[in-house]
Amino acid sequence: MELLKKNILTLIKILLIIGFGYFFWLMVKITLEYIPLDTNVSFLMIKQTEVEQRPEYLYFFYTHVYTSIFVLLAGFLAILRKDFRLKNFHRNAGKIYILLILLFAAPSGIYMGIFANGGFLSKISFVILGGLWWFTTFKAFQLARQRKFKEHKQWMWRSFALTISAITLRMWKVIIVYLFHPNPMDVYQIIAWLGWIPNILLIEYLITKKHI
Amino acid sequence: MKILKFTLITLFTISLISCKKEATTEEKPKDSLTAKKDSVAVPEVHKEYYGIYTGEFAGKGELYDNETEEYYEGTDYKRLSLKINRITQDSVYGQSIVNGTQRPFRGVFNEQSQSFVLDEPGNDKTDGRFEIKLKNDSITGKWTAFNKSAVKDPLKNLKLIKKEFVYNPNFMLDENSELIDWENPKDFKGKYTDQETGKTETYTISKNRFASDAVFKINASKQKLSEKDLKNLRKLDMEIIKNSVFARHGYSFKKQTYRNFFEQTDWYIPVSNNVDSELSPMEKDNVALLNRFIKYAEDKYDQFGR
Repeated sequence: MELLKKNILTLIKILLIIGFGYFFWLMVKITLEYIPLDTNVSFLMIKQTEVEQRPEYLYFFYTHVYTSIFVLLAGFLAILRKDFRLKNFHRNAGKIYILLILLFAAPSGIYMGIFANGGFLSKISFVILGGLWWFTTFKAFQLARQRKFKEHKQWMWRSFALTISAITLRMWKVIIVYLFHPNPMDVYQIIAWLGWIPNILLIEYLITKKHI
Repeated sequence: MKILKFTLITLFTISLISCKKEATTEEKPKDSLTAKKDSVAVPEVHKEYYGIYTGEFAGKGELYDNETEEYYEGTDYKRLSLKINRITQDSVYGQSIVNGTQRPFRGVFNEQSQSFVLDEPGNDKTDGRFEIKLKNDSITGKWTAFNKSAVKDPLKNLKLIKKEFVYNPNFMLDENSELIDWENPKDFKGKYTDQETGKTETYTISKNRFASDAVFKINASKQKLSEKDLKNLRKLDMEIIKNSVFARHGYSFKKQTYRNFFEQTDWYIPVSNNVDSELSPMEKDNVALLNRFIKYAEDKYDQFGR
């Protein structure tokens, strides 16, 4: 019985790793749409008002796009908690993850949230998301330095659940559009919240059930 | 003689290009110019018949029903415009416009019977001959294709009425217009489980897209549009808002979708297959913005991404 449980758990882990690999690849492709630098491509096609009226917008935007893809990768590698025979691999991956979020990805994300599509409802969601993202990551960082590793792990999972919202938000979009064909900004208001709330709820559930 | 020929050709093309509303006001100075050079050669007669005649162009033929996916015998109605630009003692010049195809024609006018015989050039497989009768402001008659095997309906009937083409930025789709696009159905797969037998069957259902009432509210010929105005619109809405601009300028649509929408109105008169130069600067800006958003909707709406 124990063995079966263990096997199922390994299977789930492998599936999650493959799944992440697939969606990470999709995210890489989205990032590559902004290379070479083009100020009127992809998401920016409907953001020309901000691009033209706010000279700082593009700096925040590119900071977010170019760092976030490495945040995803570093976060994933760190959460595996293996060193792969490399010295301090988990520590270094984690450091990159934390540094990129605290200094670049989260602040730029909050700034973009203020000008998000979809009106007040989605703006408020993205600003809260950005704030929580920064806070959970900072907390995890502090706890690691205090060598409180159990709590460090829990806060890291919270932080990574919010990181993964980049993927879950886009998944929900595909599902909702497929099922209901709503107008684009109606979808956007929904996925703005659906992208991260279930993620964080799941992690909180796992923490209270002592799985993490 | 060469010069004369050249001026004639130029004048003819100029008059072809400018057969809009301005045509009536602009024609006179041009005519007097012509008169100086070839007053004896080709005097114009019956200027009162010049103008745009628009109406139905009907042919019996095989029609395709999107719902049953079958062909059936029926009458296919198209909106045709004939522009009569010049009538002389022995020649008539003008153009026919249908479904985005604009063809010049040349022919003769028989004063006694008030009838025209007009031939399209014949170098296109859809060219043919109009044999029509003029009565007051209306034209009736028939059209026969030169190459009877090249077209679906080699014989068509015309019922046209003289209309003054006017550009008016206020023209909009009528609020009672049907907003379903019958031309681009999409197939969806569904599953059905029989309650009694428990058998599951898959079926496909085809759905047609439809526009929202935004197309009655947003006028790209009158207001400068911003990104905010368009962000929450579906692709079809934006396509209609954009093409309303072209419809107001008398653009003859190649796509059946847009013909279906605009032929529901009585103001839509197709007069040209290229109206790009007629657009106001604001309309041009709006069309560029709409094109960008249409492209975004097409590329991103149902994709993994924002």
